[in-house]
Amino acid sequence: MRLPGLTTLGLAMGSLLERPFRTLLTMLGIVIGVAAVFAMLSIGEGTQKKILESIDSVQARTITVYPNWNNGRASQRRAWRPFTEQDVRDIQAIPGVYAATGELSSDYDVVSEMSDWRANVLGVDAAHLRANDLKMQRGRPITETEVERSDTVAVIGTSVVRSLFRGQDPIGERLKIQNIPFEVIGIVGETDAQNWRGQDSNNFILIPRPTARSRLFGDDRLVRNQVRAVKIVGENQGVLASIEREIDYILRRSRGLTADEAPDFRILNFAANRQAFAASQRTLSLLLATMGAVSLIVGGVGVMNIMLVSVTERTREIGLRMAIGARGSDILGQFLTEALLLSVLSGLLGLGLGYAVSQISLGTDDIEMVFSTRIALLSFGSALLVGVVFGFLPAQRASRLNPIEALRHE
Amino acid sequence: MDDQAPGDRSLETPLIQTQGLTKLYGRGSSVIRALDGVDLEIETGEFVAVIGASGSGKSTLMNLLGGLDKPDQGQIAIAGKSLAGMSKRALAYFRNETIGFVFQQFQLLPKKSALTNVRLPMQYRRPRLANELELARNSLDRVGLSDRVQHKPTELSGGQQQRVAIARALVGEPKLLLADEPTGALDSKTSADVMNLFVDLNRQGITIVLITHDKEVADYADRVITMRDGQIVEDRTQVGVR
Repeated sequence: MRLPGLTTLGLAMGSLLERPFRTLLTMLGIVIGVAAVFAMLSIGEGTQKKILESIDSVQARTITVYPNWNNGRASQRRAWRPFTEQDVRDIQAIPGVYAATGELSSDYDVVSEMSDWRANVLGVDAAHLRANDLKMQRGRPITETEVERSDTVAVIGTSVVRSLFRGQDPIGERLKIQNIPFEVIGIVGETDAQNWRGQDSNNFILIPRPTARSRLFGDDRLVRNQVRAVKIVGENQGVLASIEREIDYILRRSRGLTADEAPDFRILNFAANRQAFAASQRTLSLLLATMGAVSLIVGGVGVMNIMLVSVTERTREIGLRMAIGARGSDILGQFLTEALLLSVLSGLLGLGLGYAVSQISLGTDDIEMVFSTRIALLSFGSALLVGVVFGFLPAQRASRLNPIEALRHE
Repeated sequence: MDDQAPGDRSLETPLIQTQGLTKLYGRGSSVIRALDGVDLEIETGEFVAVIGASGSGKSTLMNLLGGLDKPDQGQIAIAGKSLAGMSKRALAYFRNETIGFVFQQFQLLPKKSALTNVRLPMQYRRPRLANELELARNSLDRVGLSDRVQHKPTELSGGQQQRVAIARALVGEPKLLLADEPTGALDSKTSADVMNLFVDLNRQGITIVLITHDKEVADYADRVITMRDGQIVEDRTQVGVR
């Protein structure tokens, strides 16, 4: 078929404008459909981007190991067992490990000369900053020597600077934990990494782990040199699986577990989390796609319905046009153009609506959207497709009318 | 058909020529012969009224002459072209170029101006003409409505509406004006005005075939063909009311 000429286009526009309210209602279904398709594609693209971006980040290469309470039969149940410094050293020696650090932490009330504050106190080693992708903002990090000597030094997060020192320079100042004085030697740069308990991730105080163990926690009786968790960062994504296997082997050996016994520790792979996230985004996309498809179909049926009404209403006009020389293809073109124009307008409105709604939902961190011309064209194209598919039947019916009967139509 | 161009023959050959024209409706035992072997010749420049009661076959005849329908048997040629073998598409071209239709119910587009209505047939002319608007204005001028160009049908009287319809029929300079009960929806005074317009147009050389059941309307024509049961029962020439 030829492209509609200006006359046909003007004709179609005029006939839509004659009944603006009806036109608007007819468009609604397609508008919503296109908006949903647009949002779906944008979210899909956003998820893809998020995954690609995070794939090489330190976070994406992180494995965390926790001791586990086992839930087996009472007779076989063991007490909760932390890891040891030896475990950490063994894990650090695994090939492909970029950084591995043990963790021992608890919340304490902390006092300075100006204020007091409750913060998360972490007993760390020198690898802590590297394993957590943290940078120093000021001062210096805790050295291996300080760890070995169990020095009373502290590196603090920015929230502690704000709250405990009221924003003043804390370096060289003292703070007291459980009445034990520590010298502040450095400040860690602001981080937005997610704290696993959902707490302020800048509200921490780092002290040498042996110091924490001997002077603060005081629970060295059960297991000597205990460590509550180990965080491991691989050199790249590719080595994570083999590191995980190594960790499993090392921990089973040190804890006296055979290969087929249920482990009393958990290995959490951050990449697996990303996969779960991607899966949930896919579910959301699928939901939107279904909604979009249903809406487009319902909208299309609406267009078809209105076009059929329009053809019936204008039967005499069609008869007249045929009598004065319109061919079937002219009539087909006229009504198809009308249906297409309806979908074009709906498509534009739908894109606008989709964009507006996504601007609102962008406020939430969980959904990332990427807009592109390709996505806009795809969603717009779906509207056109609906217009052609559902506009064709009424247009064909119009084009096949018998002019004599059409002219007599009341 | 022979090889001669129709234009060369138009002076000698009748404008309309039918032979044994037959149209059937229904099927099986209930077949109605709406037209039953009609032989008819109408020359260029004639003003013919076809008269008959409803069901006499006059509307069927008009549909066939106008290329809106095809005969079941017999031959029909308008301006030297045989219509029987034409495709739907060719018939649409034929109607657009050769025939001007005037209907009882005017059949104007109610929301469009007189000018737009008159211009309508030119939308389907191939190739499109550059001077469509000028032709439409001239056509409205011919029916005496040059001061109503932008009026919509709802703003015009019945007589004026029918004049717009006649202007629309004339805009493509057809060889034949086919009018189906053109005064059927008008009062007698307005009817007379419209009929006088037809007489004027005929004097300007336009061939007119008019279908009516009204003897008074038929009186304006020069030739009256009477139909009954699908056949021509009388064909007489008269001096029309002038």
